Amino acid sequence: MKKISLMMAVMMMAMVFAGCGASSAPAPAPASSETPASSEAPASSEAPAQAAALDGDGILVGSCIYKFDDTFMTGVRTNMQAEADALGATLEIVDSQNKQPTQNDQVDTYITKGVNALAVNPVDRTAAGPIVEKAKAEGLPIVFLNREPEADIMQSYEQVWYVGAKAEESGTMSGQIIADYFTANPDADKNGDGKIQYIMLQGEQGHQDAVLRTEYSVKAIEDAGFGVEALGSDNANWDKVQATDKMKGFIASAGIENIEAVLANNDDMALGALEALKAEGYNTGDAAKYIPVVGVDATAPALESMSKGELLGTVLNDAENQGKATVRIAVAAAAGTEVTSETIGYEVTDGKYVWIPYVKVTADNYQDFM
Amino acid sequence: MKERTIPQKKFGLIFIVIGAVLLAAGGTIFLMGFVDPVPAFVKTISKKVFDLPVLAALIGACVLGFGLNRYCNKKFSGGSVDFSRRSITAYLTNNAIILALLALVVVICFIEPRFMQIRVVLDILTQSSTRLIIALGICFTLLIAGTDLSAGRMVGLAAVISTSMLQNLDYGNRFFPDMPLVPIILPILLAIGACMLFGCLNGFLVAKYDMHPFIATLAVQVIIYGACSLYFDLPPNKSQPIGGVRSDFAWLGQYKFFVIENEAGKVVFPGFSILIPIALVVTAVIWFILNKTVFGKNVYAIGGNREAAVVSGVNVFKTIMGIFILASLLYGFAGVLEAARTAGATNQYGNGYELDAIAACVVGGVSLNGGVGKVSGIISGVLIFTVIQYGLQFINVSPMWQQVIKGIIIAVAVAIDLSKYRKK
Repeated sequence: MKKISLMMAVMMMAMVFAGCGASSAPAPAPASSETPASSEAPASSEAPAQAAALDGDGILVGSCIYKFDDTFMTGVRTNMQAEADALGATLEIVDSQNKQPTQNDQVDTYITKGVNALAVNPVDRTAAGPIVEKAKAEGLPIVFLNREPEADIMQSYEQVWYVGAKAEESGTMSGQIIADYFTANPDADKNGDGKIQYIMLQGEQGHQDAVLRTEYSVKAIEDAGFGVEALGSDNANWDKVQATDKMKGFIASAGIENIEAVLANNDDMALGALEALKAEGYNTGDAAKYIPVVGVDATAPALESMSKGELLGTVLNDAENQGKATVRIAVAAAAGTEVTSETIGYEVTDGKYVWIPYVKVTADNYQDFM
Repeated sequence: MKERTIPQKKFGLIFIVIGAVLLAAGGTIFLMGFVDPVPAFVKTISKKVFDLPVLAALIGACVLGFGLNRYCNKKFSGGSVDFSRRSITAYLTNNAIILALLALVVVICFIEPRFMQIRVVLDILTQSSTRLIIALGICFTLLIAGTDLSAGRMVGLAAVISTSMLQNLDYGNRFFPDMPLVPIILPILLAIGACMLFGCLNGFLVAKYDMHPFIATLAVQVIIYGACSLYFDLPPNKSQPIGGVRSDFAWLGQYKFFVIENEAGKVVFPGFSILIPIALVVTAVIWFILNKTVFGKNVYAIGGNREAAVVSGVNVFKTIMGIFILASLLYGFAGVLEAARTAGATNQYGNGYELDAIAACVVGGVSLNGGVGKVSGIISGVLIFTVIQYGLQFINVSPMWQQVIKGIIIAVAVAIDLSKYRKK
């Protein structure tokens, strides 16, 4: 009996493939999919002029996204698909379900399937090593996006690229929005001392984005020639409710008439701070009672708030160009074209990195993002 | 349909002939690939259907073996196989899932002929390996009509503990900055040991307080995740993903043997992943424990009829403790392999694995009511899920649809399984 049960196991495995063997032998199988027919071939004519040099016809790109229900990455993958259609390449995207082992399996599957290039948004940036090894063994080009692998992994293989944004830039831009406001409205410096008295609402303690945004937003204001003085700075953990409470505390301790600007590490906290200000009658349309508030992310509620004139500005992580650049690099590398600023239409740093700038969102352009 | 009976010998002979033909045809075409120069029709075949000849030969060998066993084995001799409507219906319901899977594989082969590669088989076996180990662990708890929700988090715990002590000395962001190079076995044992400690807790709650395993392991699952996150958040790591894993540890999950490269350095045969033999050894050991030891018999006895088992002198406390500790050992081992395979870990590793493993066991015929389940069934259950996931990605089915299909398969498999028992 035991022998049979073991044998059955083998048999079951065998049978799985038996069906495959038996039935497809007589019928001539369709031609190899190494050159999958492009379903969107006509679309390539609509591609922007700068991408005209790239022809994705017959190129299959396999992409893994760390989690499908991440809002930002959903924007990126939608744009990746659009760009692949525009170039006439075939793009397949899978959901790594926030599991690194699953992603490694998916990369194996793509390699066996015979993709021409890989575009991977790693689940853990530290675990990119084995994925690069897999691509290297097959000589496949691989583009990482949004989560940057460590430098030595990037250097371990010549066909590796990275597309992403520099976290500190979001801080710089939010600082610049404040600086621009003060340049345009000298009266905003209420006490006229040439210094900007500000409140800083930070994300989680020790979070890289929180640290960088805080540091670089202040630096940008200083670089614009303003003095700065922190009236208060605290962690509100990216949270709107916590931000409201902290802001109320600062209003009580510093006095609302002394606060000249509010900087938040993200939009939720900026909106939280606005709630506290609105409770004091500020930022509700009265020009004399206005304190500039900036956030980061350009979320829908933040844009809504900007349309009402409450929020001064925010900073957008550019999903469209991240997605486009990723696909262009993958297609160019798969076609054997050298990846340069000219061929892909984005500036390439050190031959491996494409930094997609953040976008300032202010009263002038917020409608473009709604 | 007309009722027909065929003697066992003749039945076996049919399989022998089919197997031999497949083996001969496939083998011949495969061997012709080595003739210099390669005949044109062989080239055409390999372009159109890839490794189909080799796969056909392998399948032929299996069919041949099955036929020979039927033909020569004394146990079957003299008997006969009848082809009546009833026996065929019974065969179809008993193997419905496998047959559905065969249909799926055929469809995938037509849509994407590249599916007919040896690499695909190897990929599927590799990807099944760690899942099989976890499923084998969880099957013990299912066999006593219980469950184990803490499996996935134990995988994560073992992954974090083992990698935290196995980082390169020159890595920038080390978990323990001052830790010297330790023998590789030590962190692995510590990781598995930590899991077994929680396994003890699981077993104790269930055996001592007669708590339902669902609740007991739910509580322990939450504790493990919390404990693992605390460990993961220790300074100086502060919840950063653990990387820079030593290459000798990564070897344990990534090494491939029998890799064949041609002169140009192009990979001809991708090699067997080391995970495959590891999973085979674990499977053999578990099969032995379940079928050949007193402990294994006791597991089935408790699952089948607890009162009867108690009356007949089975030590329920010891057996349940043993079940949860053995299961946690397997989860811990699987966690170490997952960490080695990906050369990294976070506290999110293993999240949700328990549900995949339970689904695989149930589809493989393990009854949630306890007492029923075989290792061979679990192997097929795990393989079914891997083939589905792998195959659907291969033909580019949307990830959302993959979830829907997975769910339907679980529901249908269990429905068929239950209707089988109800008839009796």
